Amino acid sequence: MPEGQIPEQDPITTKSYALHYTIAIVVLIGTLLWAMWDEAYGQRPWKRYQRVFQERYTAFLKQARSQSADAEKDLQNNPDFRALDDAYQSAYKSAAPKVQEINQQLAEKSAEILAVQSVFTDKRAYVNALIYDIETDNSPSSKASKQKDLDKYKAQQFEVQYPDGARKKYNFQQLEETYNELKDQKGRLGGQLGDLLKPINEAKLARDTWIKEHLLSLPPDALRGLQNKIANWDPEIVQINVAEANIVDRCESCHMGTREPVRLTAALMTSKGRKSPDEYALASTSHPEPDLLTIHDPDKFGCSPCHQGNGRATTSVEKAHGYYEHWLWPLFRKANMEAGCQTCHQADMFIQAGSVGQVISEGKFLFRQRGCNGCHRYEGYDREPEELTNIGQQIKQMEQQQRDNLHQASIAMQQADQTESNDEANRLNQRAEALRVENSKIAGRIEQLDLRSNSLLRDMKKIGPDLKEVREKLNRNWIPVWLHKPTDFRPNTKMPNFRLNDGQIKAISAYLWQTALTDPLPKAQPGNAARGKELFETRGCLACHSIGEGGDRIGGDFAANLSRLGEKANYDYIVRWIKNPRVRTRPYCAYEKKDIGPEDYAKKGLPYVFDFDHSKCPNDGHELQVEQMTVMPSLRLADDEVADIATYLLTQKKQDSSSYPDASFMDDPKLKAEGKKWIQQFGCAGCHEIAGLEEEGRIGTELTTEGSKPIERLDFALLTKVAEDSGKEPINDPAIRERLPEGPANAPWYNHKGFFEHKLAMPNVYDQGMIKSDSEKLRMPDPHLAKDQIRALTTFLLGSQETSLPASYQYRPEDARRDIQEGWWIVRKYNCVGCHQFTPGQKTAIETVPRYQDAKETLPPKLLTEGARVDPEWLLRFLSNPSMAPNPNDQHRNGVRPYLAVRMPTFFFSDDELRKLVRFFQALSQQPMPYIPQKQQLLTAAETDMARALFTSQAAPCLKCHATGDPTHDKIATAPNFLLAKERLKPGWTERWLIDPANISPGTAMPSGLFKKENGRMVFAGPTPPSLQNYPADQTKLLVRYIFQLTPEEQRRLSAQAPRSAAPAKKSSRNSTSGSNSGSAQNRRFSGATGAGGSR
Amino acid sequence: MKIRSTVVLLALAVLGLLLLSACGKKEEQASTKPVEQAAPAAAPATPIDQATVGSISGTVKYAGAAPKPAKIDMSQDPACKGDNTVETLVVNSGNLENAFVYVKDGLGSRTFDVPKQAVTLDQKGCRYHPHVLGIMTGQTLSVINSDPTTHNIHPTPKDNREWNESQPPKATPIDKTFAREEIMLPVKCNQHPWMKMYINVVKSPYFAVTDKDGKYALKGLPPGKYTVAVVQEKLGEQTQEVTVSPKEAKTADFTMKASQ
Repeated sequence: MPEGQIPEQDPITTKSYALHYTIAIVVLIGTLLWAMWDEAYGQRPWKRYQRVFQERYTAFLKQARSQSADAEKDLQNNPDFRALDDAYQSAYKSAAPKVQEINQQLAEKSAEILAVQSVFTDKRAYVNALIYDIETDNSPSSKASKQKDLDKYKAQQFEVQYPDGARKKYNFQQLEETYNELKDQKGRLGGQLGDLLKPINEAKLARDTWIKEHLLSLPPDALRGLQNKIANWDPEIVQINVAEANIVDRCESCHMGTREPVRLTAALMTSKGRKSPDEYALASTSHPEPDLLTIHDPDKFGCSPCHQGNGRATTSVEKAHGYYEHWLWPLFRKANMEAGCQTCHQADMFIQAGSVGQVISEGKFLFRQRGCNGCHRYEGYDREPEELTNIGQQIKQMEQQQRDNLHQASIAMQQADQTESNDEANRLNQRAEALRVENSKIAGRIEQLDLRSNSLLRDMKKIGPDLKEVREKLNRNWIPVWLHKPTDFRPNTKMPNFRLNDGQIKAISAYLWQTALTDPLPKAQPGNAARGKELFETRGCLACHSIGEGGDRIGGDFAANLSRLGEKANYDYIVRWIKNPRVRTRPYCAYEKKDIGPEDYAKKGLPYVFDFDHSKCPNDGHELQVEQMTVMPSLRLADDEVADIATYLLTQKKQDSSSYPDASFMDDPKLKAEGKKWIQQFGCAGCHEIAGLEEEGRIGTELTTEGSKPIERLDFALLTKVAEDSGKEPINDPAIRERLPEGPANAPWYNHKGFFEHKLAMPNVYDQGMIKSDSEKLRMPDPHLAKDQIRALTTFLLGSQETSLPASYQYRPEDARRDIQEGWWIVRKYNCVGCHQFTPGQKTAIETVPRYQDAKETLPPKLLTEGARVDPEWLLRFLSNPSMAPNPNDQHRNGVRPYLAVRMPTFFFSDDELRKLVRFFQALSQQPMPYIPQKQQLLTAAETDMARALFTSQAAPCLKCHATGDPTHDKIATAPNFLLAKERLKPGWTERWLIDPANISPGTAMPSGLFKKENGRMVFAGPTPPSLQNYPADQTKLLVRYIFQLTPEEQRRLSAQAPRSAAPAKKSSRNSTSGSNSGSAQNRRFSGATGAGGSR
Repeated sequence: MKIRSTVVLLALAVLGLLLLSACGKKEEQASTKPVEQAAPAAAPATPIDQATVGSISGTVKYAGAAPKPAKIDMSQDPACKGDNTVETLVVNSGNLENAFVYVKDGLGSRTFDVPKQAVTLDQKGCRYHPHVLGIMTGQTLSVINSDPTTHNIHPTPKDNREWNESQPPKATPIDKTFAREEIMLPVKCNQHPWMKMYINVVKSPYFAVTDKDGKYALKGLPPGKYTVAVVQEKLGEQTQEVTVSPKEAKTADFTMKASQ
């Protein structure tokens, strides 16, 4: 380049960059504007939600208020309101002149006070200043002189000018007195005014309260308050911040209606002219279960602990709801909403608040009922084995503690003997004494732990039958057919389908057959099938079992459908089973790992008797498993009844038992080892007792926190891509597709919900396309669940999460609510809900049986207020022996309601279960424990006469329906014997029952309206017997006292006098004493359990 | 340069306007749907042109051997006087008594005035009179007790509210209404297990209970096409399509038989 040459064009001055700058400016300004817009709107989509909510809610409130005002106006025309209003007006009018007068006096007094006050306060200030001066002066002479000044000042006359113009002069003391007097006068006037206004204000309050109680919507005033609130709303983030639980939920920034005190539905919040609600309407609803929010205050619980989602996010709906890849807790879908309950309610078996809780409770129930916990551990299920281990350790520690204490005590005593000071010796001796007492306490605790471990052993149950007894129970040839596909034989069985091949079936059945017990069963007499059918349908079997298939099916689904029992079962076994399902062929000794037989007992010279009173192993004294691990109770049936029912059930078949193909391969010893392998492989021992496999562990994965497993750890296998991208449905079988709660997939389903639902619908779906050997294939059997059941279980699993909430959020109450929590586990375990109603509206299985449609009063009683009804001590006795007969030969009846055909069974509850159940009922009715019966005042002779007159009056013929113990009468009785009341009932409840039984047990045969309130006391609503007409107190209370003090003699006398011609007693072939011949060998062997009630 | 800056300014202005308009787009005026009234007042009756009304009448027969009415043993309460027979199936020479006939369908959304007078149910001789009755929704049922013994009246409805009240001899009548339609609503007395009757609650006045001769009549029907149903406690339901022309008196006979 030549030097000094000036470039032709100076790039600085000649080239225009205007275009560049313009572009840059546009871009910069554009960015600035975009940033501003984004800051104001883009990042704040919730603002729009708030604005729309404000508009629509304002419109809604306007309309609601005018309607509420109309409704209020209507109510104001109601005579009741008019009466209240008149009362108010007249009170107001009558007091008005006096009120006005007092008000005027008050005004005058106030003016006078003001006049005096202005002078007085001024002077008082001066006086106080002088006094202070004197107090702080150190020189006595100066003090004296100042005192003189003060006295002089106080003696001065001060002039007060009153409002009426009068002028008066007072010295300081008079001034002070005048001022105080005036104030007193004003106070008295105020008091008078208050007394005058009190009735007026009360009348006004009564009137306004009446309106409030009769108005179905919010009153117009309250609605106006809401209107003001929403009108003054400035857009802002609404946030719940709970520091202790690390909850920051901004959900209400969009969902502004959530906590509004009016019910806002999407339809109400849809703008006019639109058919379907838009996203704003959907977001603007109030919480559909306001009661739930009352229990779970959102300011404490926030939203996300129940609903999940990303509570902090505010930038988009997807972000806030957590529906994006990296958020681990997406919002629960509507169908699985109740998964959120599990976050804190893991310890509950049953929860309900309003209409919420059904799905999750069903899931919790199914997990046990379908035997899921046989393979999968889940915290809280099957607590017994773990607790047993725990107790064993505790006992060991305590025994060690006892030894240590003894050692310490002996050291202390030795020291005491050698010490010089008496004080020291006494101190040491006292210490030794305390240690020995401590040991006694520990001994008591150990005793209780021992009893508890006994209970725990009894509480352990298996969902499937004991397979050690297949030889006694089953038709051999039926077993392989059943194993092939249980649902082919029994469509609703709990037993899942295992997809076994022929080799596996043969091996498994051979193992079971060859290891089963071969003890002979006692031969049973045949019965009458027709009578058996009637008994089967009336004694209560149908609360758990069903019979008939398809549309003919009746009964509950808690236990097996017995439609084809005749094809598979042996008569003698079924007889023993129905008589008492807890009877075992041989007791099992867990210590020796063997079934103990008569030979073991004989060796020790002991009789072959094992039951709860004889539960120690003859060989080594260890605790035996003496009962079947079934929850099925005994109905305390007489032997002939048992035979009838068994005979009837054995007639239930589609084909003959002999028509099954021969399966003699089951005796082939070569198959046994392979059979054991497959049984272990499939975890059969999780649900069944199987010889040689009693101590098998669970084969499945633990599910306690399955819902929070990272999605990568859920093995979608080859379906991962399918689930992630296309959302194609891998299940092709239309019948199985039917089970999917959301139908065949039409969107990506690579999430927990999708995994669980597919797994539950078709457990081996994730084997699709895989090349696996038989032992590598997915083992989970097909539980053939219905759509709703899959939804419930999926909900349960989705909620099974590790939570970040502090432990205090877990619902593990320490008070009576824990009794409720624990009680539900037992109630659901034994299917008490199959017969009894525990919560209003709950359906029972037995009430669906056609024969009860027209005879609801013959159903088992409702237990809605059981804890308030019965004395807990009585309940304890009743639950352990519902026949309430002390004599073991008189067990074949109901204790309280002998008039019902349906029986309250004997469940052989363990002590632990009894304790929990009694506490459960008391807690459910908010009754404190222990119960202290209130002393009943003895009836005077006159009172007895009056009460008797009412008791026997033609208008309230109590003994017409209530049993008396007279067999002729009791045949037509439909209510319990009054003689039970004293021990069984609580008097307060009894009175409430007399007044309105329908409020306690809706649908009861006992009529309502027997008593009415008259002049402040409860009187009989019908024609009152003359002797009673002047009785000053509640007649209901009198009658209750009479019932509680009723003697058998009195009742017998009254019942004999009752206007009744004895109905000709029909000869009953099965009266309750026919069971006295029931001492069969099996029964005797188990008599300790059957007669347990007697010894309690 | 000047032109350029003007262009830039213009462009900026346009951009600004665009943005402004985008921000300021107003949400269309929202307003809410009318709130449903909690309890709507009874709608006024749809007017019927009395000049054109017709009627449906007929006989309900029973096919098959009439069962002999079984006698009821009332000895458990001596206050129950007289003879009483089972009324579940009452047939007089082939004619079915106590069947309930009503217009089940075809009235559309018509509404009707509820009669002011009450329907009476009497308990006499420990027996309900009548054994089957029809009543309109909202109409008063007045239960009286003419017996010298106490009864309790216990309806066990499916769709209405259940109640159970005691009624001593000579007590004041129990007045009740039923809010919802329900056919064959059973009523019983728990103290006299044989006592049973059925109430039929319907929305229209076009119903009848067959008399001794199995006859019924539905009068004052506006012309139209109707489904007439006959219901009997044991025999179930039977329906017929009947078209009534103006002023026409149609006949519709039914024959019922035991379901098996």
